[in-house]
Amino acid sequence: MDPEFAVPASLDEAVRCLEHEGAVAVGGGTQVGLLLRQGLIEPSRLVWLGRVAGLREIRSDVDGSLLIGSGATLSEIAGSPVVRSAHPMVARAAAHVGNPRVRAVGTLGGHLVHADPRQDLPPCLLVLAAEVRLLGRKGTRDVPLRDFYRGPFETAVQDGELLIRVKIPASPEPTRCCYLRFTPGTSNDYPTVGVAALAEFDAGATRRAAVGLGGVAPRPLLVDLPQLAGRPLDATALAAAGQAAATACDPVSDQRGSAGYKRAMVRLWTERALRACRPLDG
Amino acid sequence: MRLAFLLNGEPFETDAPGGVLLLDLIRDCGLRGTREGCGVGVCGACTVLVDGDPVSSCIYLAGCAQGKEVWTVEGIARREPDLVEAFIEHEGLQCGACTPGQLVMAAALRARGKDPGEAATRDFLAGNLCRCTGYRSIVESVRAALGS
Repeated sequence: MDPEFAVPASLDEAVRCLEHEGAVAVGGGTQVGLLLRQGLIEPSRLVWLGRVAGLREIRSDVDGSLLIGSGATLSEIAGSPVVRSAHPMVARAAAHVGNPRVRAVGTLGGHLVHADPRQDLPPCLLVLAAEVRLLGRKGTRDVPLRDFYRGPFETAVQDGELLIRVKIPASPEPTRCCYLRFTPGTSNDYPTVGVAALAEFDAGATRRAAVGLGGVAPRPLLVDLPQLAGRPLDATALAAAGQAAATACDPVSDQRGSAGYKRAMVRLWTERALRACRPLDG
Repeated sequence: MRLAFLLNGEPFETDAPGGVLLLDLIRDCGLRGTREGCGVGVCGACTVLVDGDPVSSCIYLAGCAQGKEVWTVEGIARREPDLVEAFIEHEGLQCGACTPGQLVMAAALRARGKDPGEAATRDFLAGNLCRCTGYRSIVESVRAALGS
């Protein structure tokens, strides 16, 4: 069956368009186009959000948090001075999703809602304690990203709901972050392992540390590392973090590596990403 | 759906199914320079420009091009013949399967105005696969077209 192609101009209209059995929201269409082509979805209606006013806005809020509209493209996020200054890890990760053709049209909303567990931004946004705002017929609700992913290609978004923006709270100073993607095939490939590390410091000791993992579980994982709190981020702490991440992950064997190999790489890249967070004088 | 956009600088209008992909639409209207390679947005053979941005037309919904400006390799070759000349002079092709995509990417890079340097050029082209040349001659062709 050929889907209808709807082009709403406002959020109200978009939500009305989505109240239709089998309607699918389209950001840039790079995933929806692919799924359609492969016959994996048979939507009755495609609701393209590219003309919805205000949906691609990127700005800082009064409380210092960063607000990114779900219609912002990955290349807009990568090039945004606001994102680069507030959360450089997010801008850098966005600059490495897929290839320039994907980044030019792929949107943040599509990237998150598609929920492929190998994607690059979810691990980064998880460690930064981001939350997403969903809009439906009954109004809006905010969902912390750590509660958003349910499984492969499955999220908390319900029928008729739309992800409209992502909020990233300001990190306390000094906080350091690093995202590393390990792609032994080609640089444009999905990562075998993606690790986003975050460490907040207090007088030379770690106050809070966490890593986000991509590609190594049915959904992107957040691994809190309370065992690192109150001690220096030294070799012993790095080894403990690598061990915790390797224990938390649940990889499957595929063309990007065996489960055992991926687990070993989680340990290694967790240590590397966290080491890169160490203050230069430490 | 009724679809209208600028195709290689000329107004273009057609009736098309709502789920049609841009690649199928442009090939069906006789523009066969745009190739289907992998069909999953990875190889770059089907690259076209939409409002100046390179996109994989094999996974790009044609409806998203409504009211925009689409350029295929045919239009780019007409608009920028020196780009084609650079590829010929520097032998930036062998079998030719990936060449339309490489030319479109080169045009996209050049339209940004300033020369980004060799490393960034290679990075920009990394998503356009070539199984023949080993890339060196393609990068040289693009660098020459950038005037460096």
